Amino acid sequence: MSTYVYGIAASSHPGLPEGMSGVGDPPRPVRILREGDLVAVVSEAPDGLRPKRKELLAHQNVLSEAGAAGCVLPMRFGSVAPDDNSITAVLAERAEHYKERLQALDNRVEYNVKANHVEEAVLHQVMAESPDIRGLAEANRQAGGGSYDDKIRLGELVAAAVKAKEADDGAAVQRALASAADDVSAGPESTGWLANVSFLVDRDSAESFLAAVEQLRNDMPHLEVRVNGPLPPYSFVEPGPAEPAGTVASGTDTGAG
Amino acid sequence: MTVVPAQQSGGGGGSSGLYDVLELVLDRGLVIDAFVRVSLVGIEILKIDVRVVVASVDTYLRFAEACNRLDLEAGPRKDPGLPDLVGEMTESGARGKSKGALSGAAETISDAFKQARDDGSERQGESRPRARKSTSSRRKEEQE
Repeated sequence: MSTYVYGIAASSHPGLPEGMSGVGDPPRPVRILREGDLVAVVSEAPDGLRPKRKELLAHQNVLSEAGAAGCVLPMRFGSVAPDDNSITAVLAERAEHYKERLQALDNRVEYNVKANHVEEAVLHQVMAESPDIRGLAEANRQAGGGSYDDKIRLGELVAAAVKAKEADDGAAVQRALASAADDVSAGPESTGWLANVSFLVDRDSAESFLAAVEQLRNDMPHLEVRVNGPLPPYSFVEPGPAEPAGTVASGTDTGAG
Repeated sequence: MTVVPAQQSGGGGGSSGLYDVLELVLDRGLVIDAFVRVSLVGIEILKIDVRVVVASVDTYLRFAEACNRLDLEAGPRKDPGLPDLVGEMTESGARGKSKGALSGAAETISDAFKQARDDGSERQGESRPRARKSTSSRRKEEQE
């Protein structure tokens, strides 16, 4: 029977989610595998497991519960080992690496921040800052909206200006919050946000991080800023500092091996 | 404005939060070579590539209309009370929309899987109906 892996923690972790509902229908109970100083949070892997909403939630809930009580290295969704033994073998083999990571991430949580423009507000800004755009818009308005070509010309200018602002504001968001965090990791791209960034934050500094977010919202009222956290440190489990910088071409997709 | 409490309860991660952390659950986190990963076929439709500003005639026209409607006299920030209100409304509007799109996609996934099961097919690589092709940019993980 294959085994689903949620995450790896230290055996001293004070609140392992043993017995909690895991993936599958009916939900498989969460078990703990022990090997030396490490544990793996696992459950039976149901046949035909698919990335459905319910399963993703189960994965996240188990890790969220484990992460609330102590440090856990979250696995990416859908990691399945052939059996329990192959998991404890990996724990034994890479014990030093995981212990180092657990130590590095101890008492730290991830906050994911996403930002978008509030359209009306950013259009106001763009017009206020560009006499060309203002002039065109005014001419169009006086012409009762303008011709198709006039509208396209105005819209093109506006779109270019808004795009430039997306890039600037994305960088500004990251800059504004980086100083309140221990580490920064760019989130997956192409998901429709001008900023999608994860921050590693010490639990004890969570309040000041969230205060920095509030400050950002005040300073940049044309942005809609969303914060999610505290989360298990999904974006900071790899690469370990033991690996020489630059040896891994694209860090995020490489395995731990 | 959404104010996130300093400490959410550990067991949280309700469904609304899931949409925002979905990509982290799917794209980040530890990967161990010795373990197999569940196929993510179907999940690509959750990664619709909505570039924030899409360079298209539709966008241009929409912006042009919006600019025509804007009250320039009011200036970019109007009075302090108003932008918050506008921001809030736009925010909840946008949230409702994106959430709707994602739940739609999630349903589509379930449907696709149901269909695959009904077909008695266990294979994951075969083609399936693309209900929402959109302008999705395939990411390389999806081809694994």
